[in-house]
Order: sequence, then structure tokens, then C-alpha cells
Amino acid sequence: MTTAIRFEEVSKTYHRTGEDYRALRDELTRIFTFQRRTKTRREVNALRHVSFAVEPGEAVALIGENGAGKSTALKLVSRITYPTSGRVTVSGRVGALIEVGSGLHPELTGRENVQLYGRILGLGGPYVRKRFDDIVDFAGLASSIDRPVKQYSSGMQLRLGFSIAAHLEPDILIVDEAMSVGDAAFQHRCVERMSKLVREGRTLLFVTHHLGSAEALCGRAILLTAGEIDMDGEPKEVIHEYLRRLHVRLVAESPDRAVGGDGIEILHVSTHDSSGDEVAAIRPGDPLTIRVRYRAKRALVSPQFSIAIADPTMGQLVQASMLVDGEDLGRVEGEGCLECAFTALPFKPRTYDILGEVREGFGRLIDYQRWARIQVTDEVAQHGSGVVAVWRSIYGAPVALPYSWRYPQPDRADLPETADRRTR
Amino acid sequence: MHVVDARRRRLSLDNLAELWAYREVFFAFTVRHFKVRYKQAAIGVGWSLLQPLLAAALFAVFLGHLVHLPGEGVPYFLFALAGLVLWTFFATALNSAADSLLRDASMVRKVYFPREILPLSAVAAALADLPAALLVLLGMEMATGGRPSITWLLIPLPVFMLLLFASSLGLILSALNVYYRDIRHVLPFFLQVMMFGSPIVYSLGVVPLEWRGLYQALNPVATAVDDIRRLVLHDTWPDPVANASALLTTVVLLLVGYYVFQSLQRDFADHL
Repeated sequence: MTTAIRFEEVSKTYHRTGEDYRALRDELTRIFTFQRRTKTRREVNALRHVSFAVEPGEAVALIGENGAGKSTALKLVSRITYPTSGRVTVSGRVGALIEVGSGLHPELTGRENVQLYGRILGLGGPYVRKRFDDIVDFAGLASSIDRPVKQYSSGMQLRLGFSIAAHLEPDILIVDEAMSVGDAAFQHRCVERMSKLVREGRTLLFVTHHLGSAEALCGRAILLTAGEIDMDGEPKEVIHEYLRRLHVRLVAESPDRAVGGDGIEILHVSTHDSSGDEVAAIRPGDPLTIRVRYRAKRALVSPQFSIAIADPTMGQLVQASMLVDGEDLGRVEGEGCLECAFTALPFKPRTYDILGEVREGFGRLIDYQRWARIQVTDEVAQHGSGVVAVWRSIYGAPVALPYSWRYPQPDRADLPETADRRTR
Repeated sequence: MHVVDARRRRLSLDNLAELWAYREVFFAFTVRHFKVRYKQAAIGVGWSLLQPLLAAALFAVFLGHLVHLPGEGVPYFLFALAGLVLWTFFATALNSAADSLLRDASMVRKVYFPREILPLSAVAAALADLPAALLVLLGMEMATGGRPSITWLLIPLPVFMLLLFASSLGLILSALNVYYRDIRHVLPFFLQVMMFGSPIVYSLGVVPLEWRGLYQALNPVATAVDDIRRLVLHDTWPDPVANASALLTTVVLLLVGYYVFQSLQRDFADHL
């Protein structure tokens, strides 16, 4: 069987001028005044000499940070953009879901869009009609299929786009990060649908930040870093390596200096232990006090601060919010200071972001940024065997609550007696 | 199987074969252009009839009545209408084609199909307005004492010529529009110059005889308009030499247009 997707020494360079397009006016002026074209063009190497092959029936996850070239790779496979050098060979019909609303036309109804997209995929009208009900069912759009797509919410557009791409029997399905918009139930259905297509022997190329679904769906993962293939192999191993590097890089980066928005300036954020000493690291379960010095650039009416502690890959874990707690600072002018004291942070060892936001009035956001980082370290893990320590520090859920494993003997007395009680 | 690489193929039969393979998409886009245009306009199809009629009435009042511009011996309104029916089609087609890639930027950025389908289907959709406008013209001719003539059968000839001409200019302008966004500001002016540079409101007879051959060869609009006046108003056959030379110009321009479009189209998605 021929290879489904083959990249041979593929490079892609984007030229970024100041603006996205030129004005004919400027170009004519330039020609008539004998000026040379100004060399303000900045080159961005989205992909550098990338080579890999995907066999038919393989499910491959492309992972990597933003700007690593994942989406560019997908656009090359779906022929939307062309390489600067090298060659991409694709055999089979490609169904691509590159962004929300891929291939949907806003003025047309959902029904007309299904037909148009079917034609673009090279499928005849009868075939599309046969699958039409399945597509609409899956997208859950039975009541609005005859409304123009421009009236759809982004969630509805996503559902329709995915449903079309996944039902029109593509040999190669390309999915880019689309599921992050849908609700949990739809995400689950997408993963199910994709795994069904994979089981049927179709090829899947999947870009996602949702590492869990990458691991669940794909038999292979490729890690892209700055346009180059960093690692290619078992999803579990590649994801582990990706998380490890992400972690290393985040720790190495110094915390960003606080920069204020237009209404408030965050002057200084510091983290303190129980005795009030400033610390950069705490142990799991230790208390933590976050101290914020700020300056109001104008008189603020009841500003509400919230402070969240977040895991860089998983998002916010805890949040202390004045808005939720009903704290009222009243009118705030000039410099001020506040502290937020957590009595315990039951987090596993790794580095966490401290995110701060300030809202004013009825929740209008005036400032939102990363204020600081806090490292949670566990000396035992640090001194344990290298791989295990790193694995413990980055794998799994970050919150550590007390628990223990037990192995009781199966005993009739332990079984619930609901049936008996009900009859009684 | 398809291959994308850094080599640029500008003119090849592969492109045509692919265009043929995607003909269903072309029809779908054409129908869509048409639908979208009429969904948005309040008076729908009427607009395509009203446009040449209003313009002809306007010119009849100012140029025919006040300036006493001659109309080749037929009522000036009818004379102008014959030119304006074709001109309206040409201008609509070119405007729509020039804007086609920007209008559907979201499609170009997200899904593959031969890009020339967009300007070409824009031109094809404009063609859909023409039969009704032509029927009005023929009706007006009959109303002013004309009779159906065998020469009417050749009306598709000037239409076909303008279709090719609008397609070739549409390919070039739509591609340039991606890179130079002020094309859309220049185009109305360009169209106005072209309209007054073509015998729409005046007769081809204005052009001196020794220059007329070259003029008609280089300006297919002039030839097409002269054709339709001969066929409908004067019941005579078109000038074969003028038509052959204008058709040749159009075909050459179409090749140039296709070449320009193909050399630019790979970077569309990166610039839109």
C-alpha cells in the first residue's frame, strides 16, 4: 500500500511584512521615485527540513507549543498552503477541519453547506444525500439546518464542520484543535467518532493541546519544536518528554515583571511562607501568602482582585476572588497593598503560575496577567531516582489530597442492602 | 494522490484536468454566488433588469435628448440599451470576480479547491442575469417596430466574447487584489474609463475608419457592442474580421490571465 502522507525535507517560510498586504499606490510611488523595496520583511521559519511518513490507517498526533509548526503541517497536507522547499505527497481524499467553520459559507444554510462541502471533497450529490441525516444528527442541528450558517453560534459551526468532515468518508482526516470550542459532550462524541474512523482503517492526523485525547486516540505522536521534529514515537513517551521540556523551560524562565493595564499598575507581587519570609518555593501542603502592591492610575470604584493558581498545562486549579467572596474595597486611589493567604496548598511538586486579574464595576476586566510563579518542591522526590522524580512531578493531576489504598476481604456484611431495605 | 512541492507549474494541462474534475464545485459556487446576491437584494432579479434600463433612460435624456447624440438611426434609448445590457453584464462580472478571492477568503484559507473557480464562477453567476436583460432588449426592439430576425441567433457570439474577456481580466484582478487591496478602489474608475472608451453611449462610427480595425481588435467590448447592435437593431451580420481579431486578443489575454493567476495562487492562503 502506498504511504498516506509523506513529508520530504519540507520547509515553510512565511514572510512577514509590517502589514499583511501592500498598497498598489505605494508600489507605484516606489517605482516612479526609483526607490528600492524596503527590507523590513521578517522571515518566520514555520517548518525546517521536516521529513516523516504516515502509513494508511495510522493515527498520528502532532504536539508542540504554539508556533511549533503543527498547523502549518496540516495546511500543507490539505493543500491550503505550499512548501517553500521540499515535497509533500498525499494519497487519498482529505477531509480537513483546520479551524472552526472550515469550508462553511456564512450566507448559505447548513444544508447548502453540507452539499457544497461534499462537492469540494469530490463526492456526488446522491452520496451526500445518503449521509445527510447522519451528519445533521451528529451535529445536533436538526432544527436549524435550514438557517444560514452566519446565524449559528461558534459551537454550532464547529459541530457542523466536524460532522461534515468526519462523515463524508475521507481517507485521511485532519483535525486541528477544533474540539476545544465544543462542550464536553460533543468533545466526547468527536473522540468516539475519530476512534471509529481510525478503527475503520482511515488515517488520522490530529493536532491538539489536549494531551489526554492524543494519547487515547493515537498510536503515534510527533513532537514539533520550532519547526523541527523533536521526537517521534509512542504517544505516552512523546507526551512525557514534551511535558518535561515544557516544565524545564517554564522553570528556567524568570517570572514576568508585573505590567499594569490602563486603570491599575501592579507594582510588585511576592510570595511568603507562614512566618512571613519571602519564598520562591514551598513544600506540598504548606501555607502560602501572596502579597500584591499596586497603584491605581485613576480613582477605582470597588475594584475586585482575584488570584488564581494555575498549572501551565492544565489551567486554573484554585481561585480566590473578591467578586465571588463579596469583598468590597470601596473607592481606591493611589498605592495600596493586599494579601491573600492560603492556609494550605495541597499541590504536587511542579511549577505553578500565579494569575491575577482586577475587575471594576460590574465585573469589567481592567487587568489580567501572570503575576508570579511558585515552585512546589518535595525533597524526597528531588533526591529520588531521576526519571521517577520527574515523572512524579509532571504526570497526573496536580492536587494532592490525603488518601490511602486498602484491600479489605470481600465480605457480605460490606455489601449495600438496598434491595432488602426497599422490600421492607 | 496529490503532491505539493516548491516548484511552480504555471500553465499545464494538469490544471485544466483538475478544473474539470472540480466542475461540480464550480457549479455549486456559481449557484451560490447567484443565491447570495439575490438573498441580499430587496428587489431581487428585478435589479439586473432595472440597472441597464435606468442607465439607458438617463443617457437617453441627457445625451440623446439634450446633446442630440445620434443613435445609428434607431431611437437613442434603444441604441444605448443594446450597449448597456452587455456592458452591465461585463461590469458586474468583473466587479464580482475581482472581489471573489477576498469575499471567500475564509474558504481559501481553510479548504482546498482550484482557486480559479472563485473568479470564474463569479463571472458565470453574472451571466445568469443576462437572458432576462436580453429579452427586455428584444421586447423593446419589437415595441418600436422591429421584427424577429435570423441574425438574433448569433447573439451568443458577443456574449461569449465578453464572457472570455471578463474571465481573463477577472483572473488577473482577483489575484492582484489579494496583494494590493486598493485594486477595489481603482476598479470603479478603470471601469468608467473603459465604458467611455467603448462605444456604449456613442456609435462605433465615431472611431475613424483607418483606426477602427485596430481599435476593435484591442477592445473586445467595442466589438461585442457593435455585434449586438448589428444583430438586433440593424438585422445585419457582424464583421467577421473584427470578431476574429477581437476573439484572438481575448484568447491571448485569457492565457496571460491564467498564467498570472497560477503564478500567484500558491501564496493566496498566506496573504488572505
